[in-house]
Amino acid sequence: MSARASSSADREVFITRIINAPRNLVFDAWVDSKHADKWMGPTGYTTVTQSMEVRPGGQWRFTMSGPQGVFPSRVTYIEVQKPARLVYRHGADKDDDPDAFDVTVTFEDLGDKTHITMHSVFPTAAARDKVVKEFKAIEGGYQTLERLEQQVLSRR
Amino acid sequence: MTLDTLSNTFAALADPTRRAILARLAQGATSVTELADPFDMSMPAISKHLKVLERAGLIERGRDAQRRPCRLVAAPLREVVGYAEGYRQFWEQSLDKLDDYVQKLQSKGRKHVRKSKQQR
Repeated sequence: MSARASSSADREVFITRIINAPRNLVFDAWVDSKHADKWMGPTGYTTVTQSMEVRPGGQWRFTMSGPQGVFPSRVTYIEVQKPARLVYRHGADKDDDPDAFDVTVTFEDLGDKTHITMHSVFPTAAARDKVVKEFKAIEGGYQTLERLEQQVLSRR
Repeated sequence: MTLDTLSNTFAALADPTRRAILARLAQGATSVTELADPFDMSMPAISKHLKVLERAGLIERGRDAQRRPCRLVAAPLREVVGYAEGYRQFWEQSLDKLDDYVQKLQSKGRKHVRKSKQQR
């Protein structure tokens, strides 16, 4: 939470997206498990909620199943401001998961559309931290890398 | 691949000179002298970068003592691209599904959504 996030500039990942529906509906889709089960998880994954309690300190426990396995997951809500903002910790379904990351989702009202911004901060403790710390440096060179990789693969 | 290996790769890639060296090597193996040519840098400085890249397993050096040609090794790059993309992909794909889903909800108005199709 705040302690972990205090010097987080180098451990952040931003993802933004315009969703083609009004804010109330989009927010509901995040906080009602009958909706969330329908979209949470990458392509090819199915999400099943065990329990969901959307309030500060409350938890959403769900299992994602897909091509790479079954992932029991847990979201612990830190801040809930309907319909504008959610702050939560997302990790495996166990207490004090060292790899859990903190996410702030903001829902900006654009009339019949909603602008979602996800700001994720990865933990300091885990080895992953170092990886994500480099993420931003990499991002600039990322397209170069992708081209590079394609070039290399096509030469084989 | 372990996170440590991944961290080494990321650290090696974080430097723009090293990325430029890799881009050059993507066109084919070459000698250190040729590699150093376009950079405004001393040979020892270039050698240092090459050492970092070699330790990260991103390049290999030939045995030929005279030329010691450098060659790109593709595998770690593939894994980095995979990792960096992993988290984004998770959410980009989830948000695609969210967008589809809420549009469907909307078009059905206030009625309950029927299970139109199973996802599995």
